[in-house]
Amino acid sequence: MRSFIKFTAIIAALAMWAALMPGVAAAGETIVIDGSTTVGPIAKAMAEYYMSLHNDVNITVSESGSGNGAKSIVNGTCDIADMSRFMKPSEFSAAVEKGRMPVAHVVAVDGIAMIVHPSNPVKGLTVEQVRGIYTGSINNWKEIGGPDVAIVRITRDTNSGTYETFESLVMNKEKIHDSAEYVGSNGAIRQRVQSTPAAIGYVGLGFVDRSVNALEIDGIVPDRNTVSSGKYPIARPLFMFTNGYPELGSHLHAFITLYLTPRGQEIIEEIGFIPVTNYQK
Amino acid sequence: MAEHENIKQTANIGSRLLMGARERRLRLIGSRIGHTVLIAIASSSLVALLFIFYFIIRDAVPFFRAEGFREFFLSTGWYPSRENPEFGALAIFLGSALVTLGAVAFSVPVGVMASLCLSDILPFSIRQVVKPVIEMLAAIPSVVYGFFALIVFAPALQQKGGSILAAGAMIVLVPLAAIAVIVAGDLICNYIAKKNDRAVRAAVTAGLALSAVFILYRIYGVIDGLRIESGTNALNASVILGIMALPTIVSVSEDALNSAGRELREGSYALGATRAETLVKVVMPAAKSGIVAAVILGVMRAIGETMVVWMASGNAARIPSPWFNLLEPVRTLTATIAGDMGEADHVTGSARYHVLFAMAASLLAIAFISNLISEIMVRKSRKGA
Amino acid sequence: MEIGTRKILDRSFSSVGMFAIVLMAVSLVILLQPVIIRGFGAFAFRGTVEFREMMLDRFGRGDENGIRKETAEAELARRPVYELVEVFESELMDADPDFKTKYRSEFRDLKVRLEELLGPRVRDSDKALPRKCYGQTRWDRAGKKLHDVLYIESYDYSDPSKMGTRIFSPRADYFKGTSLEPLFDILERDIEGMMKPRPTLYWRFFFDESIDSHFFGGIWPEMLGTFYLSLGAMLFAIPFGIITAIYLAEYSGTGRFVSLLRTCISSLAGVPSIVFGLFGLAFFINTVHVSDSKSVLAGSLTLALLILPTIIRASEEAIIAVPRGYKEASMSVGASKWHTIIAVILPAAMPGILTSMIISLGRAAGETAPIIFTAAVSVGKPLGLLQVFNQPTPALPWNIYNLATEHEAVDEIRHIQYGMVFTLVLMVLMLNLAAILIRARITKRLRG
Repeated sequence: MRSFIKFTAIIAALAMWAALMPGVAAAGETIVIDGSTTVGPIAKAMAEYYMSLHNDVNITVSESGSGNGAKSIVNGTCDIADMSRFMKPSEFSAAVEKGRMPVAHVVAVDGIAMIVHPSNPVKGLTVEQVRGIYTGSINNWKEIGGPDVAIVRITRDTNSGTYETFESLVMNKEKIHDSAEYVGSNGAIRQRVQSTPAAIGYVGLGFVDRSVNALEIDGIVPDRNTVSSGKYPIARPLFMFTNGYPELGSHLHAFITLYLTPRGQEIIEEIGFIPVTNYQK
Repeated sequence: MAEHENIKQTANIGSRLLMGARERRLRLIGSRIGHTVLIAIASSSLVALLFIFYFIIRDAVPFFRAEGFREFFLSTGWYPSRENPEFGALAIFLGSALVTLGAVAFSVPVGVMASLCLSDILPFSIRQVVKPVIEMLAAIPSVVYGFFALIVFAPALQQKGGSILAAGAMIVLVPLAAIAVIVAGDLICNYIAKKNDRAVRAAVTAGLALSAVFILYRIYGVIDGLRIESGTNALNASVILGIMALPTIVSVSEDALNSAGRELREGSYALGATRAETLVKVVMPAAKSGIVAAVILGVMRAIGETMVVWMASGNAARIPSPWFNLLEPVRTLTATIAGDMGEADHVTGSARYHVLFAMAASLLAIAFISNLISEIMVRKSRKGA
Repeated sequence: MEIGTRKILDRSFSSVGMFAIVLMAVSLVILLQPVIIRGFGAFAFRGTVEFREMMLDRFGRGDENGIRKETAEAELARRPVYELVEVFESELMDADPDFKTKYRSEFRDLKVRLEELLGPRVRDSDKALPRKCYGQTRWDRAGKKLHDVLYIESYDYSDPSKMGTRIFSPRADYFKGTSLEPLFDILERDIEGMMKPRPTLYWRFFFDESIDSHFFGGIWPEMLGTFYLSLGAMLFAIPFGIITAIYLAEYSGTGRFVSLLRTCISSLAGVPSIVFGLFGLAFFINTVHVSDSKSVLAGSLTLALLILPTIIRASEEAIIAVPRGYKEASMSVGASKWHTIIAVILPAAMPGILTSMIISLGRAAGETAPIIFTAAVSVGKPLGLLQVFNQPTPALPWNIYNLATEHEAVDEIRHIQYGMVFTLVLMVLMLNLAAILIRARITKRLRG
């Protein structure tokens, strides 16, 4: 029996030791960020960058969806809500009713790229063709200049801001065909496309890499210039919302304006989004 | 009587010496209070369950009130984010059912056989080795299973799906075919030649075996040629869920088999039955309700699992064609709740938010009812023992 | 049926049974084998000079002079490559348009890939993202990137009826006849000198914070978060669990209330974990407001509900298993029932209860669905003890999911994902091993 007590005591002691160890260092301000999975990478990269400069600030980033972000800002449970769409009127009025005033910061612009497997000879489509593919009226690559292979449609899950943007910018109120495969994240779509020669999918520009081909849409390659100049048709701004404009000089203010600094823009570009200042170029 | 009094007095003498009447009364009151507190704390799980029911149903009711039952249970149009949203969850219910069915089809035979083996066939020393294996299978977190399904199993299925399936089918079919050949050979021999003629037996069995090998070879060829479009599909989720449900099924049905009793087995052996006959014809019927309970618990494990199906099932909200096609992606209730919660309008509590609670309530109802059934079954099996 | 056939059937029945058991063992092995092998690779690998440089810059670890010397050597080995690139660049500037159009884009691509392999040439050009500051830190990944430099990946679309086929053509062939041609040979021959791979045991992987979204560094915040969550769940569940177990084992009879209670406990065990998550969100956060938003506290409470049935059942079994004689002996010397329970039964049942605690600790550590809405975040610092009441935390199970599906560079950080899975599995299996050992001792003692 005694040995068991000893065993428990040792475990408890270890636990206390482990728990207290970081307790010495951790203190100071917290910034809570919640919301979209698309804006998540920007928030995460900026958070880690900011925390590496200011050791006393703890920034937590949840990637739970734009709707959740809106809820958190309405209920005052987060400092910054990442959203890949603008707030809905209902969300906005709910916030105002609770005495909160959401302020939008457009941190970056994101083009939605249609991606296919690199072995696919199709290099470009029109928006109509993309819509045709997703509504089910185009079912084979040969109908749009490819080989005789049935199209595998991949779409983001209905819970994502990317899906909603795709629905509003491309689908034009038509329903996505029910044979489409729903995938939980940008990374997962890319993975599906790079492993399936007949697949087509859509991801944020930041997720396009060499393993997939981004299609030209209406003859326009999605890249920094075409997206920021508005030529590329499937593009959208990405938001961070705060409750009121943050107090000047606070950590929150410094963090939320990071995207305006050269450093912030470098980060945004490095992880594949388009900094907002170039929009008018 | 007097003597009895006397003994009691002697027995209590120690405590009598130590405390007076008042103290004893205090102690009595104390124990009453203690008992009440004890019951209060012990009911915490009851309270927790009631709260869970209340909070889930409270948020599910507005959905049914606004949208009615018809669309939710009978339509397959799942478009929660459109301007005129559609909340048909039929395909999602069927997706859950299909994945669970697949898991059960794999795990029940394996699990029941394994539990028979553990309770009756294996010697004690080997059992001591096998038990930890089962415990480890039960202990591995579901996200690890999900990670394996997504990162290792899905690409493998996509690249060499046919071969993997064919190998799996052979693993199941070869032993089955062997048994079938033996039984059929025996029956045929008994039919044609009443005498125990070894040559005839050998010839018949060999003939059957050859044709079985030929059929298996053809089946292998057909399955080997299959191509799987997408590695994240109902099959992937089913296999992994089946493995996850195994420990539950094995341990519960092993309990039931053990409690079927020694006498039953000894009686059967005494009548000259072999071990297999004893197990199949005597022990298993006796432990039937316990095994059914095990299966139900396994089903519940599969239905309620979130991470594996979220990562591995493909999440397409439609009924596969044909409906039992495990090679197509499906979407399940749990994955829908986990995935859609973030984007639902918490703020205004729109239908899109409440529909997820409606799904949770359905899950809760399924879990509760099947749990009740399994409970009744377990009690029955205990009584029967 | 023939007696011989019956015997064969009996044998084959037994072997099918054995086969089922073997199948379980095999699936366990198939499941654990990649996790263990590749998980090991997360902290035991061949680290390049880039890795040592990164550790020195970011964590101040390692022998500074030695590393500087090594870097200088690697620099020397790389010089011919950079010189060739510079020469070709100036050639390209003055070349005729045909030459330019032929080589410009491939040359740009080559430079990008070289930088991915070796890191930026000028080290003090500090970039915002640490991942861009260094070349490949791991030798296995460097091999892949080297392949990217040496070969051009292209597709042959000549057959219009089929999808294109992939071709790898040597980049050296493309640049044949230009001043760049020798570069590829040099690179292939001297890559070891440029990267200086060396077996590295990065045991601090478990105790470092992540750098740049898990590109570098370790998983300490996740481990600590998991630790807090599971320990917190235990703290809440243990008193309730043990007291309920005592009640069920010692006080209750077989009345209606008790059977209702038992039904409730088993129903609670059957509630899907995602429903616990929703409940935690709706009750602990939105109704009771234990914290403003996600927090370790809310997550622990939710997990506590989840493990409560496990603890109750196992503790009850442990209490019932205490020999009747202990209790009778205690009662016969005049101890009250409560006193008997505290002083005699509980200590005797302690090992069994401890087993239940350990197993449910493992269960709480591995659950993902209940903490999605109540506690888990993707990025955060390791928390201090007092911060658990109002702050969320990264946790291993959630971050495994998040990194495996959501990260912008899923493939580049595969080793970190495996490392996390490995750590989680190791934690849970160690806990279970402890439980098994304790139980073995109990059986031994009860027998002896």
